[in-house]
Amino acid sequence: MIQVQDLSKSFKGSKGGAFRAVDGVSFRVSAREVFGLLGPNGAGKTTTLRMLATLLRPSSGTATINGFDIGREPAKVRAQIGFLSGDMGTYARLSPREMLNFFGQLHGMNSATLAKRIEELFALLDMTSFADVRGDKLSTGMKQKAAIARSMLHDPPVLILDEPTAGLDVPTARVVEAAVLDAKHSGKCVVYSTHIMEEAEYLCDRIGVINGGKLRAEGTMEELRALTGKQRLREVFLDLLGLPSGRAA
Amino acid sequence: MHLGNIAAIIRKEVLDLIRDRRSMMSMLVVPVVVFPLIFSGMTRLMPKLEQSAEDDLREMGIAARISNPAAREALDGLGLKITEPDDLKAAVEKKAAAAAVEEVPGTPPEFRIYVDESAPVSTAGGNRIREALTALREQKIREGLHKSAIDVSVLSPFTVKETNIAGSRKMAGALWGSMLGYLLLLLMFTGGMYPIMDMTAGEKERKTMEALLVAPVERREIVIGKTLTAMLSILVTAGLTLTSMVISFKNAGTGSRSEEGQRLQAMMGTIPLDAGAVTLLALTLLPLAVFAASAMFAIALKARSFKEAQTYLTPLMIVVIFPALLGGIPGLKITPALCLIPIFNASQIIRGILLGDLSMVNFGITLGANLLYAGIALFLATRMYEDENVLFRS
Repeated sequence: MIQVQDLSKSFKGSKGGAFRAVDGVSFRVSAREVFGLLGPNGAGKTTTLRMLATLLRPSSGTATINGFDIGREPAKVRAQIGFLSGDMGTYARLSPREMLNFFGQLHGMNSATLAKRIEELFALLDMTSFADVRGDKLSTGMKQKAAIARSMLHDPPVLILDEPTAGLDVPTARVVEAAVLDAKHSGKCVVYSTHIMEEAEYLCDRIGVINGGKLRAEGTMEELRALTGKQRLREVFLDLLGLPSGRAA
Repeated sequence: MHLGNIAAIIRKEVLDLIRDRRSMMSMLVVPVVVFPLIFSGMTRLMPKLEQSAEDDLREMGIAARISNPAAREALDGLGLKITEPDDLKAAVEKKAAAAAVEEVPGTPPEFRIYVDESAPVSTAGGNRIREALTALREQKIREGLHKSAIDVSVLSPFTVKETNIAGSRKMAGALWGSMLGYLLLLLMFTGGMYPIMDMTAGEKERKTMEALLVAPVERREIVIGKTLTAMLSILVTAGLTLTSMVISFKNAGTGSRSEEGQRLQAMMGTIPLDAGAVTLLALTLLPLAVFAASAMFAIALKARSFKEAQTYLTPLMIVVIFPALLGGIPGLKITPALCLIPIFNASQIIRGILLGDLSMVNFGITLGANLLYAGIALFLATRMYEDENVLFRS
């Protein structure tokens, strides 16, 4: 479903030089799989995911999503993905229903299918009580549920989720996690970035650790444990970053 | 390009716009509320100011030091309180008297009138004194002529009369043309400013832009959808401004009782707009609306926040005001070369339409030039919307 090959991204620095945010990252993600992308702040996670979502153009390297090249066929790639990041906002003056109707139209969904799908998502994410409330009246958790509904609206085969539970309370985060597992079991391919190690350990089939723009390691939890000799993901993560874990393995 | 996507974006943006208080204020409040209030206020204020000056004059009276009995009698005839302080100028300065008059002996004697022109009551008092003394002088001349058995007609060997050949429509056009173009152009930009900031920098600030960018829509479809929405708000503002001005002018007048005020009221009440003029106005404003929307869109897109967008767009208003104001100045002749200057050209063409002496060559050049500028601005806005350095500037 997703094939990333030697993907790099450089930005112009403030003093004219180039800053390499992502440096030769490669990985693959299959259908019915959740791939966790972990890394400290500024490691290159968001830049990598934004390139996969066609928001940023790679400086070099390639990636295909469901067979479509992110550089050559961005519109087709966008039709294949549902993208969500933790700090993505919702329209303050539109209700979740109005927002979903708008995005459904952009995805070319017909009225009947769209109405049915919206009701399904409202039920799945427990949104019925605030479906017609304007965005500026919603709590953080309600807004995030609306954003998740938006990313899943067109039933895309690939979900790219960048810290989707950031700032959420535990019950709302559980709804998000349930939706991710539901997507995985229905055959979707999910790329999931998070800072919450327990969440990654619970959700992800394979994990990649990125730091300084480079993918330091990737594999299943068992493979990462074997590689580092550590047991818990938090310790594995710190070990791969070259930092002391603070307790014995 | 999918028209359905553009239509969906316009529908969403219009709904968003209608629910945005700031945009609605800039689009509706100025033309619908502020204009009628100004003109209705003017109607009520003008006669009140005139009456107030009259009342103050009666209360304050005038100061005079005059020995000539006839002049004294003429001033008494004004029906105002007359005092005789030691220092006449000081009395006017300290507002003890509205105006003062002093007789300076000589051949002939001189009557000096003291007024404080910064105070309307003093000007009114001075005028009353001058009128009384002028009438007395004319009476004395006539009496002198009569005593010398000379016919009074010697004073007027001929008369001079000026006739304004401009009809009321043309006069109204001159009046309207000097201000309508300027106001329309300025309000078009201010009317579009808030919706555009909301659709660009506002989206960045609220972090809703990424969601739109990952939808399977071409960037130019987004730009066209948003620009058309902004254009709609610009045209609504322009239409409301025009309608509001027509209604306000027609009903409000100046409220003045003076001859000049009545003439101005008659001119304002004659609206030089017919179906042909409105069509030409619409043709002039349409490409300019695209140009204004696209240019402001491209500028506001550079900003990271609503506040930053305001900082970028406010100087643009000054750039708009100057040529718009210049274009309305009477006597300024537009040439085909000047038709290439955006905003100025539209302001001049609007003036020409209202005066009824529009050159179709100039109109064509203006229309073509503004269409070209609109195309360039739209192209630049689209390019900027495809530039990740602009969209994800941090």
